[in-house]
Amino acid sequence: MNREVTLRQITFMYLFISISSILRQMPQMLAAEAGRSGYLSPVWSILATVPLTAIVILLIKSYPGLNFYEIMVQLTGKFLAKLFILLYLLWILLAITAKVTAYSLTMQFTLMPKTKSDFFMAIMIVLVFYALIRGIKTIFRFSELTLGTVLVFFAVLFLCAMTRIRRDYLLPVQTIHLKSTILASKYVIAIGGNIILALFFADKFGVTVTKQQLRKLWFGLLTFTGLAFIITLFSFGISGTSLTANLPFPFYITVKSISFFNIFERFEVFVTLICILSDFAAIAIFAILLMRCFTWAFGLTEYNFLYTPLTVIIFYLTYYLSSTQFEFNYLYQYIIVNLNLVFQYVIPALLALLCFLKRKQIKKQY
Amino acid sequence: MIYIFSFTIIYTFIRQREKILSKKRNLALYLLLSVSGLALGIVYLLNPYLPSITTVMEKYMK
Repeated sequence: MNREVTLRQITFMYLFISISSILRQMPQMLAAEAGRSGYLSPVWSILATVPLTAIVILLIKSYPGLNFYEIMVQLTGKFLAKLFILLYLLWILLAITAKVTAYSLTMQFTLMPKTKSDFFMAIMIVLVFYALIRGIKTIFRFSELTLGTVLVFFAVLFLCAMTRIRRDYLLPVQTIHLKSTILASKYVIAIGGNIILALFFADKFGVTVTKQQLRKLWFGLLTFTGLAFIITLFSFGISGTSLTANLPFPFYITVKSISFFNIFERFEVFVTLICILSDFAAIAIFAILLMRCFTWAFGLTEYNFLYTPLTVIIFYLTYYLSSTQFEFNYLYQYIIVNLNLVFQYVIPALLALLCFLKRKQIKKQY
Repeated sequence: MIYIFSFTIIYTFIRQREKILSKKRNLALYLLLSVSGLALGIVYLLNPYLPSITTVMEKYMK
């Protein structure tokens, strides 16, 4: 069956949009919160991400062919569903704005420090606009094609960097650090929660979703955890915890010292490029989610005319939200991470609970 | 940028007027979002050094 979006594409997209946050914010936050033992936090994150993936699978299996809004309508009623969708709409608006800010700051920190953020944002707007005109499938295909290359690049990078890891930067780790590593894992969990993306596109998978297709989500989660662990390990092991905690893009500095047998160097440019591509995919996919939320909340049949006014709002909101790297770090650490936990974990968990309570009724229906 | 955005909003309205005017809800949403976006832009143009939302939050959350 020719489906508009497959679970495989969702998994690839989930991994691809998570990469920029894994490279940029995660090592810094883990180093600041948990210190030397912070690289263990991605391992603890599975305690939350595994149940979330199970919840996503439960909801997809219980309501085949229905999307997030329709599932909410079935479980909570139309009024509450619309209310939740409005909240999700605001959260996605904030997430896009934060992504755009992070992208501009990355460009200024790495390649073009003297260029104004307006320029970067204008370029991103044009690219995202073009991708949106081409349709959902183009964006998913783009991430599907790019992710493989990115993973191979990371494999080469890690092989080259293996000898540069300093053990004294990573060890010793004692049981006294357990609490701080568990608490710090919320920064990994807040990124890993992007897997709820599958619920927003659940109506595109078709009525029959096989076990094999659902297994792709577990594969995505496993790859995410592995990637988060390895990137943090290398950042801490090469740059050290104190440097990692104080840099806006620690992995960029980490890869600066790596070369491939003196033949191939300046990996940092590739890392920046990967971040830009990941941000592009994330902004494009969040824009689609925003439009879907508008469609669900206001009962729209057409939404293309909303692109322009929403672009204007997002563009200026980036200035109102945070204007410097320090402000953005604060925003990410205290606001975005906590909001992500609520929207990616608390609300889906409530829905799963309702789904569990209404399971007899659901079985009769399907 | 505000001039480019203003022009784009008018251009979008002209190009997609049939869709926008087909339902009152579409028109209301388009107007509300356009006015909000342009208002944000004009305020930023008049005072680009306004403290950001994060600064205000940081001040009150401490």
